[in-house]
Amino acid sequence: MTERSFFDERQWETVEAAMSRIIPSDDGPGAREAGTVRFLDRYLSGVIYAKADGSGFREPAGADADAWRQRIEALRTQYQHGIEDLDRRSREEYGEEFRALAPEQQDRVLAVVEEAGDRGEAAGLQEPATEEGLDFFALLVLHTRQGFYSDPVYGGNADHVGWRHLGFPGPSSMAEVHSGAWSTLPYFEDAT
Amino acid sequence: MSAKRKPERASVCIIGAGASGATAAKALTEAGVDVVCLDKGPHMRAEDFSGDELANVNRYNLWPDPILNPRTYRTAADEDPQPKLFCPVPQMVGGGTTHWTGWVPRFVESDFTPRSKLGDVEGAALADWPISYADLEPYYDRVEWALGVSGQAGANRHEAPRRRGYPLPPMPTTRYARKFHDGCATLGYNSYPQPIAMLSQPYNGRPATVQTAFVQQHGDPTGTKANVLNTFIPDALATGRLDLRPESYVHEIAIDEAGRAKSVVYQDAHGDFFEQEADVVLLGCGAIESARLLLLSRSARFPEGLANGSGLVGRYLTLHEYTAAIGAFDDPVYGWAGGGYIAAASLEFYASDESRGFVGGGQIAAAGAGVPLPINFAAPGKAVWGAEAKAADRELFNHVMAVAVLIHDLPQETNRVELDADVKDAWGLPVARITHRAHANDLAMGRWTVDRNAEILAAAGANEIWRVYADRITGNCSHQHGTARMGDDPDASVLDASCRAHEVENLYVIDGSPFPTGTGINPTLTIMANAWRVADLVRSRRGAGAPARSAVGGA
Repeated sequence: MTERSFFDERQWETVEAAMSRIIPSDDGPGAREAGTVRFLDRYLSGVIYAKADGSGFREPAGADADAWRQRIEALRTQYQHGIEDLDRRSREEYGEEFRALAPEQQDRVLAVVEEAGDRGEAAGLQEPATEEGLDFFALLVLHTRQGFYSDPVYGGNADHVGWRHLGFPGPSSMAEVHSGAWSTLPYFEDAT
Repeated sequence: MSAKRKPERASVCIIGAGASGATAAKALTEAGVDVVCLDKGPHMRAEDFSGDELANVNRYNLWPDPILNPRTYRTAADEDPQPKLFCPVPQMVGGGTTHWTGWVPRFVESDFTPRSKLGDVEGAALADWPISYADLEPYYDRVEWALGVSGQAGANRHEAPRRRGYPLPPMPTTRYARKFHDGCATLGYNSYPQPIAMLSQPYNGRPATVQTAFVQQHGDPTGTKANVLNTFIPDALATGRLDLRPESYVHEIAIDEAGRAKSVVYQDAHGDFFEQEADVVLLGCGAIESARLLLLSRSARFPEGLANGSGLVGRYLTLHEYTAAIGAFDDPVYGWAGGGYIAAASLEFYASDESRGFVGGGQIAAAGAGVPLPINFAAPGKAVWGAEAKAADRELFNHVMAVAVLIHDLPQETNRVELDADVKDAWGLPVARITHRAHANDLAMGRWTVDRNAEILAAAGANEIWRVYADRITGNCSHQHGTARMGDDPDASVLDASCRAHEVENLYVIDGSPFPTGTGINPTLTIMANAWRVADLVRSRRGAGAPARSAVGGA
């Protein structure tokens, strides 16, 4: 698997399996088809900000770069531990690694992890939606949703499957927003 | 501290190039005054922005990075403060206007006399403003016409008198705004297009605003939304009198033997220190950071922080809480169209009515919910993962909208900004520690108004309604005020009516800090109008400068 950058094969398959329970491939494409694990793997490899026209990525500089190195390092550790925890619970309960379990068993393991986590106070409506203070399960949900619904330039939402799931007639690429070519006016009241 | 370089002395040094600083820079430079403006962050341009929700909303392309710029928060003085990205505002040239949608309603006349109108409220420290609506009206007008605002004068039955209409007609109507108008009409409530800093038509050489979905909390790649990055900053630079220095982090405002502000000590991106001397210093970093900088600027004369002989710097911090009823409709409302905030609003519940069980009130308005994409949104009570969550995303996405209220956060002495005892930022200085607990009055206001908002959604035909009641003030609007109150009594306020420090005759604070109360209306237009008013006073006090170079600014 040449796509992997940060995760090893077991970690990749474990995260992919977990993400596939968060947004399942039931009546249409889910996290697996969107490539949310690829999205996360790239993020944990330091892909932070796309260029504004979507033509590639830019490196944070100066103090920003230091902060991102620190943040990514902490996230890597959180994922490594979180994946170990999923496998430990899976072996204890079912005698196999998480990725080998049946979907219903995976759901049960995830529910236990969710329950055991520290969710803290619920965010206020429209509060900045960052990763600050999130436990492993909340991170996993956030990153799955990010990989499903964010711009495909970041490696998820392949073929816009997330947007098509919603019925969001989004821009074909970030370049279209950057240039001002994409407009939502057809979805205003007076649109014909 | 290493050796400091001393740039040429400035007439006026403005700290912060956001809503207030850019407004003052425009007003002063166009009136012939030379200005040095320092901003902590970068000077991003339209070409640096895009429809990138991850970068802008989830990451720190625009939000302050909490590793570099932490804050701490607690609800009472006996609690341990916890790190929290509390009430953040972009710390860069453009400030909050960089990522705003641009709701720019004016305050109403009663907003300036809250103590007289509402009386004594136990636990609250209401104060009348030392200025009136009439003092600001000329400046509201100037800002609206210089920025470019689309609105419909006269549509708001409760609006204060205005000398003329808006420069531009309202934006096209969104489907979610229409639902709000319909619900209000059914219930007999007045509603109107929310005045917005966008261009419904070409204006002053700028094309009409491009309506993407990536607006709220995003920078504008087309330069067609009205913010100070594409208006007041270039206006001021065009005079040749603005020396704008981004990535200049101010450590302190130093004073001379007479207790006047002498200089501003800052550090550039390379870590080099500079001492910028100035005749006058204007502080506009937002109410939290401005209070922090005053508290950091200690001296033998001001051991508790600059201009803080009263001990009131940082106190009476007021915010807004955005809380809402959310409704789902059978037909699509496309809550993401135009970014979700091409809105309709109402002041129907703004006037105080004690029979409701609380005093005061907040503006209500329609908006999208969880926009533009539901990365961070799940309808209250819905599953957050699994097949049920996935189905809910699809069922709700094009069909939900919010009717929200801005909760008026009453000022309390104990709600304040201090310096944290332990946590320091990337520059080694103590960070802002927020202590804030909502007044029971305000939570009751939120609850009551969310119930009314739910009725509006029901009247508009919503098939399912969720009520999101606030149980605390999280600072989710990025609106912040009150930490350096203006008033006539030096023992009860930090600034006088001209926003000049009672104790420092050449120091002014021009952001939301001077506001004695937070009101229940978006503050930025009023911050800008007040900054322009203060800039005019600064100019007149220092004597006539060179002739004005722009009719817009010098009018």
